Amino acid sequence: MLFGGIDIGSLTAQAVIIEEPDGKSARLKIHTKSIRVKPDPVESAKEVMGALLKDIGINWEYMKYVVSTGYGRERVQQEGLSHDNISEISCHGAGAFALYPNVRTVIDIGGQDAKVIRVGPGGELENFVMNDKCAAGTGRFLEVMSKTIGTDYEKLGFLALKSRNRFELSSRCSIFAENEVLHYLQRGASVEDLAAGISRSMADRVMALARRVGVEREVMMTGGVAKNVAVKAELEKKLGLRIVSPSLDPQLIGAYGAAVLARRSWRES
Amino acid sequence: MIVLGIDAGNLFSKAVLLDEDCLLSSSISETTGNVCSCVDSIVSEVLEKSGVTREDVKLFAVTGGGSELIEGLYLREDDVLCIAAAGAYYLPDVEMVVDIGGQSITSILIDEDGDVVDFMRNDKCASGSGRFLEILSGAAGIPIKDLSNAVELAENPVKIRSQCGVFAESEVISYLNEGKKPADILWGLCDAVAGIVAAQARRFPGVKKYTITGGVARIDALTSRIENKLEKEYLKFPHDPMLGAALGAALIARLES
Repeated sequence: MLFGGIDIGSLTAQAVIIEEPDGKSARLKIHTKSIRVKPDPVESAKEVMGALLKDIGINWEYMKYVVSTGYGRERVQQEGLSHDNISEISCHGAGAFALYPNVRTVIDIGGQDAKVIRVGPGGELENFVMNDKCAAGTGRFLEVMSKTIGTDYEKLGFLALKSRNRFELSSRCSIFAENEVLHYLQRGASVEDLAAGISRSMADRVMALARRVGVEREVMMTGGVAKNVAVKAELEKKLGLRIVSPSLDPQLIGAYGAAVLARRSWRES
Repeated sequence: MIVLGIDAGNLFSKAVLLDEDCLLSSSISETTGNVCSCVDSIVSEVLEKSGVTREDVKLFAVTGGGSELIEGLYLREDDVLCIAAAGAYYLPDVEMVVDIGGQSITSILIDEDGDVVDFMRNDKCASGSGRFLEILSGAAGIPIKDLSNAVELAENPVKIRSQCGVFAESEVISYLNEGKKPADILWGLCDAVAGIVAAQARRFPGVKKYTITGGVARIDALTSRIENKLEKEYLKFPHDPMLGAALGAALIARLES
């Protein structure tokens, strides 16, 4: 039996299929796909799920239950591409918990927002905080700043780890920080030191958000920013604990959670 | 007595030369690289324009974000006090001066003597500032100086929902991709900025008359919208509003001497 999850983000769209072999369901298979988003979330959903189904050679009709999440999740359902739509918060919580049942806090930082989600011992959603009003502390901040220092979003974390003398960024606002970094870059500040300052500022914003719900062990980081080693290391230092890395690509956790919830809905119905 | 006032702002430096009540000359230049050399050049410019020599100037006063970096025999003045002084001097009836600069929005409450009673400032977030306006207007493909004219052409205005400049920029770009006209987007932008400014100014509810200074106050499309949103009487600053703080610096220096 096949259960699907579709997560439309701001930059990428993901699809996950959980394959439950007939009979004894001991060994679940997980199939994943990620694409760059299209202007329309319905188009993105169609393309990413279509591509994944093609990869594994299965038709849409064989999907028992599909859950959509992320931007335009309601429209994806209205267009008949999913049976239900569930918030990103619930999906990230469910995905993280299914991969690692000891998880109690999920820090999810995507391209347009940052969320800190608290999960109970049974995987239930306890509380969450979200910032989607200000780019500081989201993936967008890292993206803007990477461009300012002339590097790739993916490379920023590795550059930061090479820093010998971290730059202290005084602006929180992405727009002001851009001017500040440019100013020091023109005066010969090293890209590595600036990258370290940028990662530190990012971690500061995430910590401010996390303090509002409280952090409990174990902590997992999901979303694209989880791939930034410097931000993760800085957060670990501030929290005084190791952050668990999901066994799947951190950007797939929302879609995986949607598929987990799809499977649960099917079983309960 | 001839007094020279300078406002070394984050984005622009301004200089004014005052002889009693007469504004002899003024100069505005983008603050680039070295603040000192930028200030030197606008000082030479105001002197040259007015035919006044350096020796004729009795007092030199400086204010603004870059004022600490400026060397020489300058009197340093606080910029909130300068903005308030300029508002109170030229418009004795105003009870509040709202200043919209390159990187900040400041609402200053003043009493009948022109003294500062209280003020509120946002300089942590670019939302609603000159920089915000410049970035978003640029994203829509219209230079900020043409903003007021462009807004006139709006037919089906859109709403800018993001407060954050970075997110608002994406919003502007997606509106353009949807085929919305720049004029309609800029209408929404002006409305959004006016809303942000008015929200701060409303925190001083008792005020009846106010003025607006700072570079953004040059844009009529904005001041008229702020006026509509705030149910108070708007008095137009009699000089170029961008010179507000520089004029205030000169006025305070004159009083103190």
